[in-house]
Amino acid sequence: MPPKDPKLELLQGTLDLLILRTLRSGPAHGHAIAQHIRRTSEEVLQVETGSLYPALHRLEAQGLIDAEWELSDKGKRAKFYKLTRAGQKQFTAEENKWQQLSAAIGRVLAGSTGETP
Amino acid sequence: MSAFRRLLSWFRRGASLPRREADLNEELRFHLEAEADERREAGLSDRAAVASARRDLGNLSHVKEEARAAWGWSFLDGLVQDLRFGARTLGSDRTFTVAAILSLALGIGANTAIFSVIHSVMLRELPIKDPQRLVQIRQGQNGELTNPIWEQIRDHQRVLDGTLAYSPERFDLSEGVEREDAQGIWVSGGYFHVLGVPAMMGRVLTSADDDRRSGSASNQVAVISDRFWKRKFGGGEVIGRTLRVNRQRFEIVGVTPPWFRGLDADRSYDIAIPLAAEPLIRTDRSALDNRSMWWLYILGRLKPGASVESAGAQLSALSRAVFAETLPADWSSETQANYLSSKLTLRGIPTGFSETGDRYERGLWTLMGIAGLVLLIACANIANLMLARASARQRELSVRMAIGARRLRVLRQLLTESLLLAALGSAAGFLFAMWGSRLLVGMLSGPASGVAIDLYPDAQVLAFTMGVTVLTALLFGLAPSVRATRTQANPVMKESSHGIRGRTSRAGLGKALVALQVALSLVLLVGAGMFLGSLRKLLAVDVGFSKDNLLLVSADARQTAIPDERRVAAFDDALQRIRAIPGVDSAATSLITALSGRGWNGRLEVEGFVPQTPRDAMAFFNRVSPGYFHTMRTPLLIGRDFTQQDHLHAPAVAIIDASSAAKFFGGRNPIGKSIAIRGPAKRPAEIYEVVGVVKDVKYASLSEAKRYSVYLSSLQDPLGSSQISYEIRVRGLSNEVVPAVREAFAAVDANISIGFGDMESQVDESVRLQRLVALLSVAFGVLALVLAMVGLYGVTSYSVARRRSEIGIRMALGARAASVVWLVLRGVAVLMLIGIALGLWASIAAGKLVESLLFDVKPNDTWHIAAAALTLAVASAAAAYLPARRASRLDPMEALREE
Repeated sequence: MPPKDPKLELLQGTLDLLILRTLRSGPAHGHAIAQHIRRTSEEVLQVETGSLYPALHRLEAQGLIDAEWELSDKGKRAKFYKLTRAGQKQFTAEENKWQQLSAAIGRVLAGSTGETP
Repeated sequence: MSAFRRLLSWFRRGASLPRREADLNEELRFHLEAEADERREAGLSDRAAVASARRDLGNLSHVKEEARAAWGWSFLDGLVQDLRFGARTLGSDRTFTVAAILSLALGIGANTAIFSVIHSVMLRELPIKDPQRLVQIRQGQNGELTNPIWEQIRDHQRVLDGTLAYSPERFDLSEGVEREDAQGIWVSGGYFHVLGVPAMMGRVLTSADDDRRSGSASNQVAVISDRFWKRKFGGGEVIGRTLRVNRQRFEIVGVTPPWFRGLDADRSYDIAIPLAAEPLIRTDRSALDNRSMWWLYILGRLKPGASVESAGAQLSALSRAVFAETLPADWSSETQANYLSSKLTLRGIPTGFSETGDRYERGLWTLMGIAGLVLLIACANIANLMLARASARQRELSVRMAIGARRLRVLRQLLTESLLLAALGSAAGFLFAMWGSRLLVGMLSGPASGVAIDLYPDAQVLAFTMGVTVLTALLFGLAPSVRATRTQANPVMKESSHGIRGRTSRAGLGKALVALQVALSLVLLVGAGMFLGSLRKLLAVDVGFSKDNLLLVSADARQTAIPDERRVAAFDDALQRIRAIPGVDSAATSLITALSGRGWNGRLEVEGFVPQTPRDAMAFFNRVSPGYFHTMRTPLLIGRDFTQQDHLHAPAVAIIDASSAAKFFGGRNPIGKSIAIRGPAKRPAEIYEVVGVVKDVKYASLSEAKRYSVYLSSLQDPLGSSQISYEIRVRGLSNEVVPAVREAFAAVDANISIGFGDMESQVDESVRLQRLVALLSVAFGVLALVLAMVGLYGVTSYSVARRRSEIGIRMALGARAASVVWLVLRGVAVLMLIGIALGLWASIAAGKLVESLLFDVKPNDTWHIAAAALTLAVASAAAAYLPARRASRLDPMEALREE
């Protein structure tokens, strides 16, 4: 099996977070979510289809997002996902955790300059 | 998320699997379209846009699989996928599939068939309430007790929660001259109640029906079985109707439900009659007060909470009192002392009685062992086939693993395929088993024996079949699968037929399996030879008389008005009439028919002979008419036969057989000397003068050891037996004589009931088991041989295919066709020798187990082993020859060219 892109390893848990955040702005289908993440991150985060859809289905199975078939802006049928109440709560909790984590990492990085490793 | 919610959503999703699948497809298609659109807008051509989008999407099936995994479908979905794929692969390789299913069907089918019979006959619990608490009361090891003992137990025991007594008997239901047999049982009043059998119609018997004091009319009631009801009365109105049992009238009061067939596992009872009615049927031979007539089985039910041991101990304490009350007065003091000191014992019998089971137990388990071996061979075959197939599919599997399938997943798919094969094989096997077990039962029963085995597939047999199936699947699915998925992708994909490294081990397993098959086949062939030889020897036994064209008639005068003292004359009258029938060569009577399994024995006292042990003086008796030996074609060696002059008022005479003459008289001439016969009673011994010596005759069965026979004259029968047998030597067909025989009896007394048989059938009946085992072991032996040869053929073909380039090189270098053939056969010969050696060792071990089934054949007779080994060698050579010849016909250029 070819080794996975190291960048993606990090995003295993955070992909869920990004999806939830994207859907906070309103319902969207899978492709739109991927586009949104790409644009908002200024092309840094390219979400692979192989990770996106499994994540979406997982979140749906967990009851954090709901899915419905609607017509896209081009007139074609697409599966639109939207955030549920549980998803909203989960997002807030995850976002807090992320903030704490990144703050902590930041402190460690800042404090280590000038010291011997 | 809680496990419960996951499970719930799993079910919900699972239920709409196809829709989910379609949804996912559509979703991904939409995504693909959207990506392609983006690229089109960016300027790419249509085709390039789509191609680029698809590339970016990555492995579509992988995505789908991951998405599906998120739903937790993985297991179920995977299973369905595996099954579909498995079915497709099996369908494409039809030869393999058919061969595999056939092997399995035969192996599993044979095992299940035999197990169903064993189960029905020996292992199945009675369908009554709480069979585990059913116990049998015996005197020591003796299960048949007297009626006085029964009455003592019934009236005085407090240990058990209800007792019953019963005895099987064949009743005559006819109203005319010729017998109409029915399977009956004598039962005590509490029989149905203790067993917990209700009446389906009418009522069952109660203790009021079994009361000796209440007069015969109230005892003349009967309960019939559902089976008998349907057979004789067609299921019509039957309560209150009269049935003639041995010419006495009985009123039918009830019918039992279809699931109750009596206490005998291998029979179904027809009529149940109270014990108290016995004097009506047996008349002056009534056994109800006879302290020496052993005929009743006594059973009981344990009290709740009691164990067999505790109840047994309590019952044992009653023994002294019971036996003191029922002591036979006319026995010798020695036998009396034995009687008084014996003990009542208990044993559980949840499966009821089975004469067939007892008689055939060894035979049936032997057959089971044989079938097991055949299944093993079939499994080895399939394992080999799977191995070969796995090698052929090596590339496919490696590629699949290379593009991302996990090893476990591939393994699971291969295993599912094996299970599918096993399932198909066992379905076919089950059908085969149903046919086979019916065949087996047909061979075990017969109208004469009265055996009626009830076969129906029930939970245990089903569990057994499924157990065997799963075991088989694991056996032949696992090894090849593990091997197939162990190899690394690269070396395999670079493979060519030059490469032999890493595959000799697989070939080694295949060869080991074939050697095993050869070994097992040898065991089976040797076994078949032994059983066949045993049967042949048995049938060739010199019985001492001529079996052909011998019509047997059993005559019963109990329902006539003929008084005891007139019976002898009446039977003699019938005999003279029969002798006058044209078509009858000769005729005679006897008390006991030869080879019927019945017997009458006692102790001989001869002057000058001192027995070492009481058994030493034992001899077997029979009472025969004048002309008996002539009719039976038994040679009279010295002296004379009985004559009409040897009647009741003449001196008592006897004829002995050659063995008795040698044993009891040493080398002296016995003619004119006297012998004394002593029974167990205290009566004085009866003295007889020896007037003739005849050749030894087989008394009760073909395989019996030497017996000492003494014949007495039927005209000197002091008791006037009410039942005797007629032996009629017929010229031509027996059927022509039968009506005249009927008339002869009718002329003497219309109420003599008669039944017809013939000696040939009787002999067949006595070797039923041996014939069954011989037939089946030969059938299985041939089957095993065929399977092993198919395996050998397969392995040799595979090995030849593998070595194509090697052979091609050899031939290109100048090897001749013959030497190539020899090359292949040499490998096979080695395998065969190893197999035979293994088989020899196994035969010797197995031979000891079946020794008791053999007659006059030593296990592991050299001749049999040599014959079996030779057969195997020839068959192996034939099986391996074809692929070997194909190898020698190889065009070297083609073989080398193929890569």
